[in-house]
Amino acid sequence: MRIVGVAIIVGGWLLSVSGLLLTSSTLGRAVLACAGIGISLFGILKVLNGYYLERAIWKK
Amino acid sequence: MTSRVTQIRRLLAILGVGAALWCAAAPVRAEGVALTEKDLASVSGPKTDTIAAQGDPGAELTGTVNDVTIADSKKGLTLADLANQAGQNKIAINFVWTLVTGFLVMFMQAGFALVETGLIRAKNANHTMMMNFMVYGLGLFAYYVCGFAIQMGGCAPIANLGGVYPLNGEHVLQLFGKPWGLFGTKGFFLHGATYDVGVMVLFLFQMVFMDTATTIVTGSCAERWKYSAFCVSTIGLGALTYPLFGNWAWGGGWLSQLGANFGLGHGYCDFAGSGVVHAVGGITGLAVAMMLGPRIGKFNRDGTPNAIPGHDIVLVLTGCFILAFGWFGFNPGSTLGASGNGCLRIGSIAVNTMLAGCTGSFAALLYMWMRYGKPDASMAGNGLLAGLVAITAPSGFVNPVAACIIGWIAGILVCLAVEFFDRVPKIDDPVGAISVHGVNGLWGVLSVGLFADGRSNYGGSWNGVAGNVKGLFYGDAGQLVAQLIGISTLVGVIFTLSFLWNWLVDVFVGQRCHPKAELAGLDIPEMGALCYPDFQLKAQDYHLGAQSAAPSGTLTSKP
Repeated sequence: MRIVGVAIIVGGWLLSVSGLLLTSSTLGRAVLACAGIGISLFGILKVLNGYYLERAIWKK
Repeated sequence: MTSRVTQIRRLLAILGVGAALWCAAAPVRAEGVALTEKDLASVSGPKTDTIAAQGDPGAELTGTVNDVTIADSKKGLTLADLANQAGQNKIAINFVWTLVTGFLVMFMQAGFALVETGLIRAKNANHTMMMNFMVYGLGLFAYYVCGFAIQMGGCAPIANLGGVYPLNGEHVLQLFGKPWGLFGTKGFFLHGATYDVGVMVLFLFQMVFMDTATTIVTGSCAERWKYSAFCVSTIGLGALTYPLFGNWAWGGGWLSQLGANFGLGHGYCDFAGSGVVHAVGGITGLAVAMMLGPRIGKFNRDGTPNAIPGHDIVLVLTGCFILAFGWFGFNPGSTLGASGNGCLRIGSIAVNTMLAGCTGSFAALLYMWMRYGKPDASMAGNGLLAGLVAITAPSGFVNPVAACIIGWIAGILVCLAVEFFDRVPKIDDPVGAISVHGVNGLWGVLSVGLFADGRSNYGGSWNGVAGNVKGLFYGDAGQLVAQLIGISTLVGVIFTLSFLWNWLVDVFVGQRCHPKAELAGLDIPEMGALCYPDFQLKAQDYHLGAQSAAPSGTLTSKP
């Protein structure tokens, strides 16, 4: 699950950067950048953190 | 005699200003005065005998043509001598400015140490203080060995510091027809040609910035981080993670070139490091705090959070004052000079810094007062720091009204973020470092793309793009996109690098202390000595069920 989390986080960044190459529209780039940030945050706070929360000390 | 001296001073002033303007390639504000060697023949300073007999109580005879260094005494004073002296004076002013502001930033380590130690329980005070103390040495060494080279090895030229021309190696990848600067290659161990006066000044200033980032992590991981793991983790941050992002933003790397290569404003702009320093530190803190898990007693079995109060609010607020003081080095010092290339904006930058800290603390105080009925001291302190963190990136690009707004939003944001991390992802951050530095670091980066007013001019261009930096509210949406890509890089790449490095540390060293050590307090198990041996600490079971008791870690005098 940690590998999946890392992959999602990096994938979000790749989406943001891909906007530089896929479109020259400022709005398009802004949308892709925001989407990428959202995906990376999802990977951090939901996927990766979810893995550690399952093993949290207060659940034992 | 006095009028003669005044004439000489006027002449020198005209020459000095003319030469400085020429060196800085700044817009010419007045007609230049053409001088010849013949003009200089009639210039002479006060007689040394006169000064020896009378002294100079009125400061009229000191600092004259007599003090201009003459290259060839046979020729006497030449135009070249005057031009060289003017150039050296400019660089000297910038060196002194950058060094002194760097010293101020170094002193922020003491502020961080006090804030963090005050916000944790007394039983861990030695451990937390020692993390803050050793982060300086560990980070410095890692940065000296390779961090500085990776970050700034290809940053030349920096006109304010005399060029720093030995730092001329940037590893560039050609991808999709564009150059992507990845890391610097000059300056490892500061040897060879980088044994250079300008490089030394730059190293000192950048090193204390890096140390600020590393000390943020110790706050978010306090009270359960194994000391050996902290040491290894810090070295990784100082040697690799921080320098990489520093290169992309400040060292001529690909983020700074988004404007030149993709037409996005002036590229990623981060004047003093909301992103480079604070967000990198806060995001690394997030990665390690997540991995460590919460402190024992932070969450109940149903997942509801408990407040674990710090042990000394005096330390916390004193630390905040020290940090606010040090921030006058952090932001105004980031001009890397006080002379030439628009550096006279240092006053505006200092005022912006002051205002954002003020509105940040004010907003946090009001928020907590309205929400919980009391003006919370620690959150007021965190509000001050949040405002300062947020204004760090835009401080050189915005006006005072925008600084107030940025600080105000930061003060609210830090309160919301602390509650969010406690209640939603349940990430334990004992001092609020992730909220203060991570969240508000990102807010600071974003705010450049919104509030930069296009009035700042640092030598006519920024990141290789002519003109002044403007945000969305002043007509440049592209700048906002550049900032968003910077934010994406922070959460997508820097988080990942930090996570992977600390994962390795977890596998080979182990990140978290033994639960027994944590319950006992880390001072004895980890450090071998109590911070407060003459005081008796109250029972440690408060957060393990007996919640009606007094807060753990509260200091009481031994009877």
